[in-house]
Amino acid sequence: MNNKKTFQDIWRDYYEKSFNVSIPILAILSAFVVSGFILIAWGANVFEAYGALFSGAFGSPNAIATTLIRSTPLLFTGLAVAYGYRGGFFNIGAEGQLWMGAYAAVWVGATLTNWPGWALIPACMAAAMLFGSLYALLPGILKATRGVNEVLTTLLMNYIAIQFAEWAMRVDHFTRGLELNANGEVPVWSWVSWIGIKDPAQPFPKSPFTAEAAYMPSLKSIMEIPIFVNLFGSSAWYESISSIPAFGRMTLAPVLGVGFVLLMYFIMFRTTIGYKSRAVGINPQAAKAMGINIPRTIIITALISGALAGLAGGMEVLGSQHRIIPKFLVNAGFEGIPVALIGQLHPIGVLLSATFFGALKAGANKMGIITMIPVTVIYVIQALAILFAIAGTTFDVESTLKKRRLMRRQPPEPPSANLSNTEEESHV
Amino acid sequence: MAESEIVLQLEKMCKTFPGVIANDNVDLDIRRGEIHALLGENGAGKTTLTNCVYGVYQPTSGKIIWKGEEVEIHQARDAIALGIGMVHQHFMLVPPLTVAENVVLGMPMEREPFLNLETVEQQIREQGERYHLRVDPTAQIWTLPVGVQQRVEILKALYREAELLILDEPTAVLTPGEVEDLFLILKKLTDDGLSIIFITHKLEEVMAVCNRVTVLRDGILVNTVNIEDTSAPELAKMMVGREVFLKMDKPELEPGEVLLKLENVNALDDRDLQAVKSISFEVHANEILGVAGVDGNGQTELASVIVGMRKAGSGKVFVKGEETTNFQPIDMIKRNVAYISPDRHHEGLLLDFTITENLIGKTYFASPISKGGIFSKKEVERFVDQSMMDYDVRAPGPQLFAKLLSGGNQQKVILARELSGEPDVIIAAQPARGLDIGATEYVHKQMIEARNRGAAVLLISTELEEILSLSDRIAVMYEGEVMGIIPGKGADTDIHELGELMAGLKRLDSGTPQAKEPQAEEAGEA
Repeated sequence: MNNKKTFQDIWRDYYEKSFNVSIPILAILSAFVVSGFILIAWGANVFEAYGALFSGAFGSPNAIATTLIRSTPLLFTGLAVAYGYRGGFFNIGAEGQLWMGAYAAVWVGATLTNWPGWALIPACMAAAMLFGSLYALLPGILKATRGVNEVLTTLLMNYIAIQFAEWAMRVDHFTRGLELNANGEVPVWSWVSWIGIKDPAQPFPKSPFTAEAAYMPSLKSIMEIPIFVNLFGSSAWYESISSIPAFGRMTLAPVLGVGFVLLMYFIMFRTTIGYKSRAVGINPQAAKAMGINIPRTIIITALISGALAGLAGGMEVLGSQHRIIPKFLVNAGFEGIPVALIGQLHPIGVLLSATFFGALKAGANKMGIITMIPVTVIYVIQALAILFAIAGTTFDVESTLKKRRLMRRQPPEPPSANLSNTEEESHV
Repeated sequence: MAESEIVLQLEKMCKTFPGVIANDNVDLDIRRGEIHALLGENGAGKTTLTNCVYGVYQPTSGKIIWKGEEVEIHQARDAIALGIGMVHQHFMLVPPLTVAENVVLGMPMEREPFLNLETVEQQIREQGERYHLRVDPTAQIWTLPVGVQQRVEILKALYREAELLILDEPTAVLTPGEVEDLFLILKKLTDDGLSIIFITHKLEEVMAVCNRVTVLRDGILVNTVNIEDTSAPELAKMMVGREVFLKMDKPELEPGEVLLKLENVNALDDRDLQAVKSISFEVHANEILGVAGVDGNGQTELASVIVGMRKAGSGKVFVKGEETTNFQPIDMIKRNVAYISPDRHHEGLLLDFTITENLIGKTYFASPISKGGIFSKKEVERFVDQSMMDYDVRAPGPQLFAKLLSGGNQQKVILARELSGEPDVIIAAQPARGLDIGATEYVHKQMIEARNRGAAVLLISTELEEILSLSDRIAVMYEGEVMGIIPGKGADTDIHELGELMAGLKRLDSGTPQAKEPQAEEAGEA
């Protein structure tokens, strides 16, 4: 071996450093190609259908706004699952943590109605993160101390969280109507109404809207802040941009989402917390030899993952729906799993795959209207993308290993015996 | 035993893996009704040879002759069809299925697709009586102790009408009582005409149960002898072999203060069996204490106890005079104790981490590498560049995954990580395992350098050559105990005595440094 770098070395060096962006892109393209055949079998015009899908997702500022709104919760749950997986904590409970986060955000937003926005929005976000992470704490402790499989605990706790939120939506919120008993006293069970978030004005189980101070400011309203107006207000481009109505729908939530992507990248790769989490996720035995406290690290991983999932719910409340209703954000927590997997468990990858998922959801309606293709086709595309992404990772590892073997060894071996042989020898 | 028919004959068997010759022209014949031991150190090629017979590997060249006819065995199914059975070190059983279900798994039934487990169960009971292989055929595998699971493996082979049974280190997973039972079973099986290949590196087992023994060393057949014509010391010599030893240049140094001290340390292994039994010794500054012994005699457990990876049941560990028994690994790292793990892939390195991330594995928590939990990119890069240069890690770049490095470079990464902080105590377990000559030499040089600058090195190795060329003193471990500590310097080392200690045939009692020194030290302190 010499120290001269070949082109291959440089390419590989770069490739190892970044996450492999080619896998998700190839997977998504392959999914579209294969789904194309399904569309042909359906008798539809593939180009028309995909054109409609694309323009429905990115064709206009309004479409882009819809895509962003749909992507944001998936971005957070995707980050939650990715961080958990990296740390060996297979968080299947993002759905439940999301519900707890949304509940907490609504509760804070609907209770502290006299708070100003600059305090209330961070308070709602903090509450969502706190509830999400506390909800992941129990599975984390059970795994760390007793070795209980977190897949089971987090999965089953989802249903508890959903049921809890549904129940809370049926108990009147105390600020809206506290029942007094016949003597005009607060009844003993009134503490329950501290938990409840039902809007008493509604006959159906729904939470009230949060205080308007807790509405995530839209980009339009930010552009109307005097500082910006004074800075750029005179220029024509600023006026033309700020007059686009879609900016009224686009909120700060996706922007914060990108901020969290960068934050998670930083935590994962530039802090000792992320370093320890990833070490434990890769190999606990070796991590232990490095002096890492395995149980503590698992619990920290669970807390971070849960906080992100909780924030997914919180952001949806703050940025989009401003309240919770039954079936609010269908399956966004579960979809975090494929988002994370297609994104190669990398924050930047999660950003891309969440946008892909959001775009599919946003564009599906237009595709359905124009081409009469059932909207469910997008689930086929999603599922295929997941399959191809997973297949892509295994394929890639295999080819990298093969390359290494060819580089290192002169006599080529029959491929069937090769892997087992090297394994065997290296352990002797 | 009378000369009986030859069942299996191997002629000039060769098996090469890229860069390694696992078997070199091995001739072997197995007679009907004999227990034939395949003896050799780890990596001598015992398992590879039998895997060729069982169809797991294809021999590079050579002939397999089964009952007088040359055969080709491409896969395990071919071997089973011929009547060859193999019990692997790791059992091939399906835990939730019952014994009977496991036994018939993959076999055609009389009335397909219906199972007729009753007859199978009956058969298992009959064979159990006959061969002392008693197993409840309706029990689920996971409920059975390891020794009984092994019986199921043997039953599986018998059900497939095996005439030759290959047992790969069958006693490695057994308790002493279970070993007794196994030997009884094997005797009964051979009485009925079955032949057995018994792979082991334990001499006393060979002497206890086998009829003939073939010794392999570095893939070459040393000799095949009848048990009556040999003795354990002779076998030990054959197994270890070499009379010529590579000597490393190392200056004579006066041992300094005691940096590592063990007092009656006991510990269990992963199967909760006693692996380390009342071990006491001291390692001084400027000294390499070699721990010799055949693999599996508690050496790796000993190393992991010292560095906090395994709980000590009793006894005390002292580092630089401070008691560190059952400290966490992080505490040992902070006390500047380096640990070169025997298992490079599962404990020594994080294969899916980059070289950089591996190199900072023992410094990541401290300034200047990280401050307030945030890595200093500049300091990390400087540290990594320096380490890779100092320890000659050859890679296209520091961001390469460790799994893509060669074994030698992986070990250099570990050495760089462990030694760059100039540790006072170094626990090096199998530091040169699986490395080529150049890399081995490099590792050895690093050990000597660490010793010369004043570190106390505990070198655990199953390679006698390594021990002899590096150690100032040699402690020999056998079945978890230190059998004796002998000087490691050139002419003072008695190779025959070493061999006998390793085989557990001899024990140096009080009067040796092992027993005397700790007491003297204590008296001195008091």
